[in-house]
Amino acid sequence: MRYGSTLAVDGIDLSVQPGEIVGLLGHNGAGKSTLLNVATGAAAATSGDLWLDGERLPAGSTPGSIAQAGITVIHQEPALASNLSILENLFLARHHTPARHDRARRAREALDSVGAGTLRLDALVGSLTLGERQLVDLARGYLAGEMKVLLLDEPTAALGAAETEALHGLIRQLASQGTAVIYVSHRLPDILEVCQRIVVLRGGRLVLDQSAAGMSVAALSAALAPEVDFDSEWLPEVGEERLVVTDDDGQLVFRDGEIVGLFGMAAGEQFDLVAALFGLGRPPVATLSGRRYKAITPRHAIKQGVHLVPADREVDGLVVGMSAIDNTFLPWRGRFRRSTLVKQYATIRDTLKVVGPDGDAPIASFSGGNRQKHLLARWVFPVAPRVLLLAQPTQGVDIGAKHDIKLALRALAATGVSIVIASAETDEIASLCDRSYVLAHGRHRELHRSGGYEERLLRTLLDLTSAERSPA
Amino acid sequence: MNRIKIVLAQNGTFIALIVMIAFFASMNPRFLSLANGQTILLQIAELGIIALPLAFLIMAGTLDLSVGSVASLSAVVSAMVMMEFNSTVLGFIAAILVGAITGALNGLLIAYLKLNPLVITLGFLSVWGGLALFLTQGSTLVGFPDTFKQIGTASIGPVPLQIIILAAGVLFAWYILNRNSLGRNVLAIGGNRRAAHLMGVRVPGTVFSLFVATGVCAAISGTLLAAKLQSAPPTVGNGMEIQALTVVLLGGVALEGGMGRITGVVSGLLFVGVLRNGLVIMGVSQFLQTILIGATLVIAVLLDGSVQRLVKKSWNTVETKKPGQPGQPEQPNQPEQPKQPALVGQ
Repeated sequence: MRYGSTLAVDGIDLSVQPGEIVGLLGHNGAGKSTLLNVATGAAAATSGDLWLDGERLPAGSTPGSIAQAGITVIHQEPALASNLSILENLFLARHHTPARHDRARRAREALDSVGAGTLRLDALVGSLTLGERQLVDLARGYLAGEMKVLLLDEPTAALGAAETEALHGLIRQLASQGTAVIYVSHRLPDILEVCQRIVVLRGGRLVLDQSAAGMSVAALSAALAPEVDFDSEWLPEVGEERLVVTDDDGQLVFRDGEIVGLFGMAAGEQFDLVAALFGLGRPPVATLSGRRYKAITPRHAIKQGVHLVPADREVDGLVVGMSAIDNTFLPWRGRFRRSTLVKQYATIRDTLKVVGPDGDAPIASFSGGNRQKHLLARWVFPVAPRVLLLAQPTQGVDIGAKHDIKLALRALAATGVSIVIASAETDEIASLCDRSYVLAHGRHRELHRSGGYEERLLRTLLDLTSAERSPA
Repeated sequence: MNRIKIVLAQNGTFIALIVMIAFFASMNPRFLSLANGQTILLQIAELGIIALPLAFLIMAGTLDLSVGSVASLSAVVSAMVMMEFNSTVLGFIAAILVGAITGALNGLLIAYLKLNPLVITLGFLSVWGGLALFLTQGSTLVGFPDTFKQIGTASIGPVPLQIIILAAGVLFAWYILNRNSLGRNVLAIGGNRRAAHLMGVRVPGTVFSLFVATGVCAAISGTLLAAKLQSAPPTVGNGMEIQALTVVLLGGVALEGGMGRITGVVSGLLFVGVLRNGLVIMGVSQFLQTILIGATLVIAVLLDGSVQRLVKKSWNTVETKKPGQPGQPEQPNQPEQPKQPALVGQ
C-alpha cells in the first residue's frame, strides 16, 4: 500500500484463523489504519490481495461489497445516523432488509446477541453512550449476515472499565462462534486480556507475531518502542497554590509545578469541571492566584492564563482544513511576526518529535498522535499558560507519543505551570499524575501516588458512587 | 510534483482566465488594447467591492444574498438625501448607514440568533429590493449634485477612481486574510466553529462584524454605481448577489467555509469581467450573456468540491521536507528530557 512517496504498509502477510483473536499493535503511522483500510476496502492496495475463506476478493471491492462478504469493522466512533432510532440504524442501507413486521424481532435478536438487550429499539442513537453506540454498530454487523471477520479499531479508547469488560466478553463469545477477530488498540492491558496472538507493526513492517501467552505489558512496550524508559521517576518541585476550587467536600488545590489528576467515570464530572474552569458551563467557585476566578467564555479563561487541551481533538480542537502551522498558532496569531512563527514551529516539531508532512500541509494529513502533539503545542508553547487543563491527553495516542507527551508535561510543570489532567483512565492518571482527586456525585477524595495507585483510584471511585446510592 | 498539482488546482481560474483572454484576443485584436483593459476593470469595480467582503463571509461558513438589494436601496436612499440637502457627503453617509443597518440586521439574526443565513438573506433580498422600488415608486431618480456626478467620472492621474478603490480593497482584503489575525479567525470559524470558540475566537462577534462590513461595502458599491450612471434606478444592484457569488466561488473559496484566497477571488473577478466584456465585443446577445454567467456559477460550484478534494489529497502525498524518511513514519523515541522549557514563555 502506497500513499504517494510514502510506503504506508510494506509486504505484510497477515492471516487469521476462524475463532482467533489477534491483537494488532503499532505506533501512530505504523500502518495499522492503512492495513485496516485495505481490509475493509476503504483504500485500495497497490499490490497484494485479500483472501477470505480461501477465495480471493476481487480487486476494487468497495466497502459495501466487502461488508456483504462477512467482514465487519467497528470504529472508535461508530458511523451511525444519530438523528435516527436504533431500529432505523440497524437496517439503514442494507441490501436484504427483512419484511417490516419481522424487523423488530430480528433487531431484538441482534441486540441481545451483542449484549445490548436492554436498549430500546426506538431510542435515538444520538442519545446513547459511546459504548452503546458501538454495540449498535456491532449489531448491524451481526444483521449483515455471518460475521466471518470482525475488525475493531480502538474500540475501548473512550470506554469506561465496565463497558470495556462487557465488550471483551462479547468479543470472546463471537470468537467462540468462529469469528476471526482483529483487535487494534493502544491499550496494552486490553490487548493482553483478550487476544491470543499479537502482531506488532513498526514503520509499515511486521516486527512481531507471536502467541500472547506469557507476554507482559512491559514486554509488549519494549517490542513497540524499544528505547522508551517507562518508569522514570520524577519528583515535582511544588510551588505556591495557584488554583483552588471549592465544592461540597471542601477544596481542590492545584499548585505550581504539580501535575494533578482528576479521575472519575467515563464522561464523568471531572470533564465538566475542567470545561467549566475554561468558561464552558457554569463557573465553579474558584480562586486563581488568590483572587476570585471566574471565566464566562474560553476567551476570558485564556486571558487569565488558563488553557484547555480538549479531549476530542477533531471536534473541539483542530481546524481540519487549516495548515499545521496555522492550527498551532491560531489563538495567538496577533501576537507574533510571521518569521517568528515559522522559526518557533520548527523548534516545536523538534521538541515534540513531530513526524509528518511539513507545516504548510493541512493538519488532517498528520497521524492521530502527531495531531495531538500540535494541539498540545498550541496551548503550551506560543504563550505559556499559568494553569494548563487537559482532558484525556493521551487518549487514542500510541505509546511512543504518550511518552513524548508525558515528558513534555513534566518539563512544562518544571517551569512552574500548574497542570490539571481530567481522565477516566486509571493508567493515564497513574502514569502522569502524582496526586489526584477522584470525583463523583459532587464529592471528591484526594489520593497520592504510592503502591497500588490504579487500584486505589478505582476503589475510591466505587466507594464514592456506591455511597451515593445507599446513603448511610 | 504534488506541490505543483496543488498550485495548479488552487489557481485553476487564473489559468482559465489566461486561456479565455487568449481566445478573445485571437477573435478580435481590439480586445487586448489598454483602453479595453481599463473598460473591463471599470465594469467590475463595483462587483469587486461587493465580492471581497462576501468572500470573507463565505470563508466564515455563512452567506449573504441580500447584497444586491442593499446596493439598490443605498443608491436610492443616498440619491434622495443628496437631492433633499444638496450634499454629496450627507448622501454618502446615508448610504453607509443603510449598509451598516442592513448588515447589522443580518448579523443579529444569523450570528447571534443562529438563523439560517440562506433563508434570512434571501428574505432581505426581497425586502430591501422592494423597499427601494417602493421609495421611488419604481422610477429612476435623477438630478444629483455636481460633485457627486464628478465622482462617477473622476480619476487620479490616468486611473479612474473606481479602479483605485477596487485596488485598495483588494490590498486591504489580502492584508486582513494573510497578515492579520482576523483572517485566521475567519478561516477557523468556517473550518471548525466550535474549535474556534474554544480557542477564544469571538465567533458571533466576528461574523456580525463581517455582515456589517459586507452591508457597508454593498452600499458603497451601489452608490458608486449610481454615480457612474449619473442616476439611481431602484434596480441598480439587481443580480449583483449572483454575480458576486460567482466571483467568490470561481475564486476557489470553499462553499462550506474554512478555505479561500484573495488572489483566487481576484482571478474570479477578472474572469467574470473578461467573460462579460469579451461576449459584448463578440456581439453575443444580452440574454445569452446572462445565461452564460449563470452557467459559470453552476460550473464553479461543480468544480469547487473536486478542487478541494484534489488539494486535500495532494497534500497527503507531499514529500516531507524535514524529519522522518519515507517508509519510516515513526522515529524511535529518545528517553532524554526535551529541551522544551527554554521555549516556554517566548
